[in-house]
Formats: sequence, structure tokens, C-alpha cells
Amino acid sequence: MSFAPSSSDPKTEIMNQIRQEAAVANARQLVEKLNEHCFERCVPKPGASLSSGETTCYTTCMEKYMAAWNTVSRQYVARIQRESAAAPRY
Amino acid sequence: MDSSITLGGSPGADLTKLSDREKQELQQFVVNESQKARIQQSIHSLTDICFRKCITAKMSSGKLDRTEEPCMQNCVDRFMDANMTVLRQLEQMRTQM
Repeated sequence: MSFAPSSSDPKTEIMNQIRQEAAVANARQLVEKLNEHCFERCVPKPGASLSSGETTCYTTCMEKYMAAWNTVSRQYVARIQRESAAAPRY
Repeated sequence: MDSSITLGGSPGADLTKLSDREKQELQQFVVNESQKARIQQSIHSLTDICFRKCITAKMSSGKLDRTEEPCMQNCVDRFMDANMTVLRQLEQMRTQM
């Protein structure tokens, strides 16, 4: 679970734990949203099992959602950086 | 995000052993991480909103196509413009009271 050597000082240990928990929360949120969108798009009528078509759709949809996430991330971060450079705080 | 930070199973993480300087560094670290978490939360919410608006055609490729990419970019910028408009409008209402 922890990626720091256990012999490290308490401050580093706490920081690593916070980083780890933030990363997990972020990943969980992405998976949740991704599944929400892709389930809606790829499985309009749930059958007895996921068909191969639905599975293929899921693969494409996941890739697309993550590409969309990256685009939003770049655009949003660039914008808040621009605005915080123009004004002292955002 | 889970608000509680569990330090179970790590007896080395004893806050009382920290120096004042370390405590301050840790505090600053938490402030920065909170801000990062807030930004990431906004990215999740914007992706949710804009994906719904921009990715409407049948998905044939995992990449964003020629219309989807600019649509996502515009969506982020216009959402923030709209947000600013609301804030400005509210500010105006406040001064007129």
C-alpha cells in the first residue's frame, strides 16, 4: 500500500499517505463517471450478459472518456493559470 | 474525497514527534493538496457536462475527432464564462440592494 520505505520520517509518511488517498479518490471518481456515461451509451437495453458489441463499445467509450478528461484538464488548468496571472487570486 | 486520514498501522506517523517547522510544512502541503483535489473535482464535473454535450455521435474511435476536441475546449471556456456572468450578476444585485 505505502510506497515509501517504512523507515522514513513521519512527515514524509503522512505526505505519501495523503498523496495516495488523493490518487485513489481521483481514480475512483473517474471510473464512476466513465461507467455512468459508457453504460448509458453502450448498454441501452441490458441483456442476459454483455454482448461482444457492448464490450467493444465499452473499450472505445472508455478511451474516449479519458481523452475527453485530458482535454478538459489541459483547457481548465490553462484557463485558471491565465486568470490567476491576471488577477492575484481566483 | 474521504475526509478522514487514517494512519492506522503506521506507528511511525506520530504527529507529536514533529518539529514546528515540519508541522508548518505539513500544513502547507495539505493546503496545496486540497486545492489540487478541488481542481480535479472541477475537471471531473466539467468532463461530465461537456462529454454529454459534445460526444453525441456514434463512437467509432477512442480518440476525440476533429469536431469533438474543439467542442470540449469551447465547452470548458464557455462554462467558465457563464459562471463568471452569474458571479458578476450577483455582485451587481448585491450593490443595488
